[in-house]
Amino acid sequence: MVSCKKTIYLDNAATAFPKPREVLEEMVEVYSRLGVSPGRGSYDLSMEAEERIMDIRREVCQFFGGSDPERVIFSYNATDGLNMLIQGLTRPHSRVVSSRLEHNSVLRPLHHLNQQGILGLDLIPFGSEGFIDPMAVAEAIRPDTSFVILTHASNVLGTVQPIEQVGAICRERRVPLLLDVTQTAGRLPIHMEAWGVSAVAFTGHKSLLGPTGIGGLVLSPGLDVEPTRFGGTGRDSLSLDHTQVYPQRLEPGTINVAGIFGLSAGLRFISKRGMENIYSKELGLGRRLHDGLNSIRGVWVYPASLHDPWVPIMLCNVDGMDPEDLSSILDGDFGIAARAGLHCAPLVHEDLGTSPKGGVRFSLGPFNTDEDVDQVLEAMVRISRAR
Amino acid sequence: MEGTAQTPPVRQELGERVRHIAGREITFDGEGFFWDPHQWSEDVAMALAEEAGLKDLGEAHWAILRFLRGYYFQNGRSPLNRQIKEGTGISLMEMEALFPGGIKYGARRLAGLPNPRNCI
Repeated sequence: MVSCKKTIYLDNAATAFPKPREVLEEMVEVYSRLGVSPGRGSYDLSMEAEERIMDIRREVCQFFGGSDPERVIFSYNATDGLNMLIQGLTRPHSRVVSSRLEHNSVLRPLHHLNQQGILGLDLIPFGSEGFIDPMAVAEAIRPDTSFVILTHASNVLGTVQPIEQVGAICRERRVPLLLDVTQTAGRLPIHMEAWGVSAVAFTGHKSLLGPTGIGGLVLSPGLDVEPTRFGGTGRDSLSLDHTQVYPQRLEPGTINVAGIFGLSAGLRFISKRGMENIYSKELGLGRRLHDGLNSIRGVWVYPASLHDPWVPIMLCNVDGMDPEDLSSILDGDFGIAARAGLHCAPLVHEDLGTSPKGGVRFSLGPFNTDEDVDQVLEAMVRISRAR
Repeated sequence: MEGTAQTPPVRQELGERVRHIAGREITFDGEGFFWDPHQWSEDVAMALAEEAGLKDLGEAHWAILRFLRGYYFQNGRSPLNRQIKEGTGISLMEMEALFPGGIKYGARRLAGLPNPRNCI
């Protein structure tokens, strides 16, 4: 067996690991100085914290190509933000267009409302290469469609969807397009307003390299999301009616101040290194891993062939081996951490024919190296030969 | 080591079922894992192995099963991947090949441990 002193971490689609030391240090440093309830008091520290948080809303807004920093809403993660969007935009007896590529963070809230008879659901398929067809979205939109909600990139296949074309269709049909950028934020430029996207939902702990527990939404000015949670916001406190003013309208309770500082530090880290540089390194390693796996007899790789744009996420299986066992062997014998199963995207696996056991997903991050790829390929060759 | 514990009621809605194997009444979950590890015995393991197509459990099989059970009852949880390898001196790749069904559905199931449910 290969002697492994350190774990080769290839589960970056779940969460980036490790986090950059600079990010953690900056988060602790800023939180140590400004970790008070922002904007909820008239004392200087609270005002300074609020000012800093507002600066970060501006950073986030600019990062995603939004236009109004007050419509940057902080949430726990992308799932939390997507729930806010879906529940806050659903009109009773309307329909929603989405796809079979989605993560359960989109599918389950939609399914829940569908089961309750509140909305109808039109899920468009993806092709053999892992992409949806924008024309299928156009055909699925009906007069009673409330919104279209799509993932920017599949969390199983890494295929980046043709959002600009879908955005043009949605703009023309006057249907809001909501985008789940969980796997692309921090890897690829996102221009929500230019693309005709009405809202993006992001998480801070993946390619944005922040801590877990922070994510959010960026809303375009034309999109009003009804609050589905209510509480203290630090404004209009005399009234029992929840405030309608953004961002507090969707941010009841004290926000995750430490997480927001960490998110900002992650954005700064990406900016210093250059998002394009980070992505191009990850992409190079991903392509090499994909091609290497594809060349091993008895190993199945999804997507079978790569088409741009792609983020370095791929699924694989070894002939006749349970994916959970493959993951255990990679971990226990070779020190390689990769995630087995369905990756919370059951319909993707159903359509790939890998359900119900799924496969093993390899997802690269900014700290993976050529040596990591070499060791994974060596391990996979040994495992497949031993069959 | 394996103290007495009451067997929880069978919940058929969760796919649980009761079978009589080697003179014991055993509750399995929907994936064929023991609901109560105390219901296991060596005779039961041999019967389940035969069902899975393994006529004889050899020394290597028993070493693995005993390690898995010993670790579970000592620590209250199943061993981690690296602990299995360290504890048995057998690689996971070899273990996967030793048991029909592999590591999870072979070794862990025959050891009579509860389903190591991961979020998949």
